[in-house]
Amino acid sequence: MTESKSGLVLPRRRALLGAASLAAAAPLGRPFVANAAAEPIRIGLLLAKTGQIAPQTEYLAQGTYLALEERGNTIMGQPAELVWLDEPSPQDATQNMRKLVQEQKVCAILGGSLSSNALAEEATAAQLKIPFVCDNAAATDITGKNCNRYTFRLNTPVLVQSRMLAPYAMGYGKRWYFLTASFAFGQDILRSSRALLKEAGGTEAGVDEVPLNTADFSSFILKIRQAKPDVVLGGLSAGDLSTFLKQWNELGMKGKIPVCEIAIGDTDIWAVGKEAATGTYTALWWYKNPNNPPEEKAFAESYQKKFNRPAADKAWMGWITAKSLFESIELAKSTEPMAIVEGLENWKFISAGTSYSYRKFDHQMLLKNLVVQVKDNIPDQWDYFDVKASLPENSADLEKVFGTPEEVGCKMT
Amino acid sequence: MLDVILSQVASGLVLGSLYVLIAIGLSIIFGLLGIVNFAHGAFFTLGAYFALTLYRSFGWPAVVLSPVIVGGVGMIAERLLIRRLYDKEPLLSLIVTFALALMIEASVRLIWGGIGQPFSPPHFLGGFLIWGPILITKYRFAVLLTTASVLLGLWAFLTYTPFGRILRAGSRDAEMVGLLGINLPRVFTWVFGLGCAISGLAGVLAAPLWTVTPSMATNAIMPAFVVVAIGGLGSFAGAVIAGLLVGVVIALTVQFKPEASGAVMYVFMALMLLLRPRGLLGERWERFE
Repeated sequence: MTESKSGLVLPRRRALLGAASLAAAAPLGRPFVANAAAEPIRIGLLLAKTGQIAPQTEYLAQGTYLALEERGNTIMGQPAELVWLDEPSPQDATQNMRKLVQEQKVCAILGGSLSSNALAEEATAAQLKIPFVCDNAAATDITGKNCNRYTFRLNTPVLVQSRMLAPYAMGYGKRWYFLTASFAFGQDILRSSRALLKEAGGTEAGVDEVPLNTADFSSFILKIRQAKPDVVLGGLSAGDLSTFLKQWNELGMKGKIPVCEIAIGDTDIWAVGKEAATGTYTALWWYKNPNNPPEEKAFAESYQKKFNRPAADKAWMGWITAKSLFESIELAKSTEPMAIVEGLENWKFISAGTSYSYRKFDHQMLLKNLVVQVKDNIPDQWDYFDVKASLPENSADLEKVFGTPEEVGCKMT
Repeated sequence: MLDVILSQVASGLVLGSLYVLIAIGLSIIFGLLGIVNFAHGAFFTLGAYFALTLYRSFGWPAVVLSPVIVGGVGMIAERLLIRRLYDKEPLLSLIVTFALALMIEASVRLIWGGIGQPFSPPHFLGGFLIWGPILITKYRFAVLLTTASVLLGLWAFLTYTPFGRILRAGSRDAEMVGLLGINLPRVFTWVFGLGCAISGLAGVLAAPLWTVTPSMATNAIMPAFVVVAIGGLGSFAGAVIAGLLVGVVIALTVQFKPEASGAVMYVFMALMLLLRPRGLLGERWERFE
């Protein structure tokens, strides 16, 4: 009995010892993973929690969290979590970026809701050698002259979007009035649109740079009314665009002078209301676009189910950038920064005629943009747009449309 | 050119009248209670959101209840929080009211959501009024008239009613008023509620023009502080003049130097305070000096 018992006990002990030894030795045979086995893989999220951009970042964050939930909150079979810090200003944003890296030990960062913040953040990312995937900002320089090896960007640069919108604005006439925000995003629009107008032989009816968080646009609208342009070329962001459109309608200008702008967010137009909404815009994604691939339709459905409202473009932007990062870490089988960078450089999404990837020489995501126009009769509180075009029409032209290395001016450091 | 300037002045007066309403509430609370209320903008936001909900549930006439509800919320805040600050360091009231502002904004975000809510002016106030070169929408004219009526009513209330006299006396010498057997804590609750209700009214009037978001107070609170500083702390008439002046200065800056229109009110304030440190109509206040 004793023998038999001890005979049974010894192999069990050996088995336990063997299992423990295997478990202890297992990480040695695996690729480098930054955090200890018990620690989850941490990804930083750097998005504004308050201010005029907050309505957009709410959706960006929801899309990001949904992308992680879709994977069962794991990456490489390890638990993964997002650590969200605020980006109230460029200075505070870079401080929070340092906190994410040095205190929270994140292996990569998603974020950059405003161009002014993103420009500061990408420089800090290069300094800290941390992969940074910018999910919202559109300033040309992010993947242009300010580009660096650690920064990737989803949004189509202002210059490229301006080129896509220009033929539609030209359709209304060649006398443009520029109304742009007086920070990086608006100044970029002004610079690129002015050059396009000059190229086309058009004339400027007026140029107004608008301070951020302007509450009353009536004085600007009075000037536009007096200048009688063919079209207003806007460069206002988020809440400022919504306020402008509300007052544009209130002052009886809707339907009299067309409004065009690049990079509208769905939340911007939803806040305007059916009565006041108007204009032609570029957008990255629209939840009712019939050409969305099955994965995106599934995302839109799960978003609707979870939040009981349609997925805004910003939710998709949060989702696709997070998906690209998570899949790149999976691809790299590592949380080591340079391995993630290489993973992102090789990441591709191809489905039903849609393809997304980050271009190697500037880390800019190549994707088609939509030209959308506000419907004459808006059926409900969400369905505001008709998709007029998906540009460039031929996917083979994407490289050309996004510019050559010489045009872009990116020199990777 | 004159017609453009006149139109811009009219436009500036409307913006200024909203600033006046926000600033008056701030000024009354500071003047009578000695509290610098950083949560004042949050009550402005609450006014806009209550108006939105009342309009969606019961139509336009119900919107008039919004400032009353905001006033009620203000009175509750005073009973629970603000009254503990009256005899404390001014810094404490700044911190507590700032925290209150963050709490209200977070609550708005939780209840109504973070994205902007559509809200347009009523149809019966659609269209324009044109007087010579001046063009103004009927809604904006209604904002001007409402502001003027509220200010007139408030002035009459503070000047001619016994309650108004108690308020003014209490603001100068609270101890003496208390010795006369008047329940000053209750009076202070009403004062705080009144200040918040006026801010709520400004929110109601601004909602169809501005984007209704939880952080819409950002566009209101800083100009309100600037107006109070220019007008003179605690001065009713000073806030009115300063608010209208700030609105007009901003509108004219848009005409000639639009990119400076955001900063011009601060430059104006700095100049005014250099010339007259107590503000336009600021008086010497025994209790603060």
